Amino acid sequence: MATSTPDISIAADPVPAKQTTTKRAYPGALVVVEGIDGSGKSTQLYLLKRWLEIGGYRIHFTEWNSSPLVRSATRRGKQRRLLTPTTFSLLHAADFADRCERQIMPLLHGGYLVLADRYIYTAFARDAARGCSPHWLRNLYGFAPVPDITFYFRAPLDVAVNRIVAGRPKLKYYEAGMDLGISLDRAESFRIFQERILNNYDQMIETDHFVLMDGTVRVNKLQKLMRQIVGEKIALQQFAPKKK
Amino acid sequence: MKKTRKDAIAPIPANGRPSKKKKKNAQIESPSRFYGTPLPGVRPEELSGTLIVIEGTDGSGRSTQISLLTEWLESEGFAVQTMGLRRSYLVGEDIDALLAENAVTRMTLALMYSTDFFDQLERRILPALRSGLIVLADRYIFTLIARAAVRGIARDYLHGIYETALRPDLTFWLNVRPEVAFDREFKKSQTISYWESGRDMSLSNDLFQSFIRYQSMIKREFEYLSKRHGFLELDGEGSVSLVNRELRKRIASHLGIRGTHYQPSHALSQLWR
Repeated sequence: MATSTPDISIAADPVPAKQTTTKRAYPGALVVVEGIDGSGKSTQLYLLKRWLEIGGYRIHFTEWNSSPLVRSATRRGKQRRLLTPTTFSLLHAADFADRCERQIMPLLHGGYLVLADRYIYTAFARDAARGCSPHWLRNLYGFAPVPDITFYFRAPLDVAVNRIVAGRPKLKYYEAGMDLGISLDRAESFRIFQERILNNYDQMIETDHFVLMDGTVRVNKLQKLMRQIVGEKIALQQFAPKKK
Repeated sequence: MKKTRKDAIAPIPANGRPSKKKKKNAQIESPSRFYGTPLPGVRPEELSGTLIVIEGTDGSGRSTQISLLTEWLESEGFAVQTMGLRRSYLVGEDIDALLAENAVTRMTLALMYSTDFFDQLERRILPALRSGLIVLADRYIFTLIARAAVRGIARDYLHGIYETALRPDLTFWLNVRPEVAFDREFKKSQTISYWESGRDMSLSNDLFQSFIRYQSMIKREFEYLSKRHGFLELDGEGSVSLVNRELRKRIASHLGIRGTHYQPSHALSQLWR
């Protein structure tokens, strides 16, 4: 049962799926970071945010953690281990939809630069690793706006896993992918689960135009590169403070 | 491997189900029990029960019919499991809370309903069908699709979400005019609820107008869904006993039950008119 359906790739279809939201039908911009736990993405996005904040830019930072909306359901499901790959995925999609409809979309329409720590690709990589159909997942998140830049922070599995395991006393049940029944050992299960997620991310690099970032590069050096790329790809003056 | 398994299963006597049906089922057995990719970890061939769906707008008489059908089927010796909207352990109460607040957006609500649906499907319905039960569903994916579609969510998107759902063996649509549904609903609760009248859609400030317009939109979606999914349409405006007789006739023929005679017990007699 644990074996999923790896014959189908999570990579986007060659013919792009119908997008419910037309790309850039708004004045704002969306920059997202993706990557497995311990890849360094959150640190880098935080530094990017600080840079823009200090500069007075019109930005908003959003991250993928449970909103009050689904918190009780997620807790209930996780405590009693009731979540299946499908309900796990749908619950997170509902949570994301709430953030998307009430935060991200209004901000993009209002001309903000939105920075997102994890985005739909997290769901694609993680839920496909749980056995959800990639095709089904792509459809499920069809309402999400396409990011202007998707930074993919990639660190070797061992480096990333060690960063997490070292800093955390106990891995949680779903976090470690224990529901997949891969291994009874949490650390081992976590490692295999992360490896599957990493492989799924790799499959999306080209189809989803990820900007690949080497997570082993020194923090400040990597940040310099990140700022440079943002400056090249996004018309930042649009978000700059207005001179009176 | 699948083949040998199927062959091996055929001679084993059915668990509480008429042997006739088992044979018929073995012949028509195909992956088409799901609309698209089956749910992860589900083998369609092990689902020996029967899924019967009753659809229809508010006030179409679904719940009444389901109570009566449950009694009839049990008297015929069939074990029955029921399902309905917002009844999942996982998120049923959360949806109630969201609806009470009126602050939820359409996509979030649609996805919460789909979570509720799949939680019931995976934790209650599939196990029941594996054990050969008759599942009576008080609404199914069609209501969820219709409600979201009238709020502007693409039909293809919605069908995509529910493509991993189980295809019912029978889907009945109790069709009533919105005006009749209004009378029935009003009589029942002396008012018309916010969501039943689609007030989130700002159709009209007048509750009656809002209800009629909203239910008419839902009805049009059902007409489309009926064609696409082959509903068995019944006139829901007929008397309870008349509609019930029609339902029993169809179900009996599907399950191989000979007689369709049924008289509700004293407990349910107040439903019979």
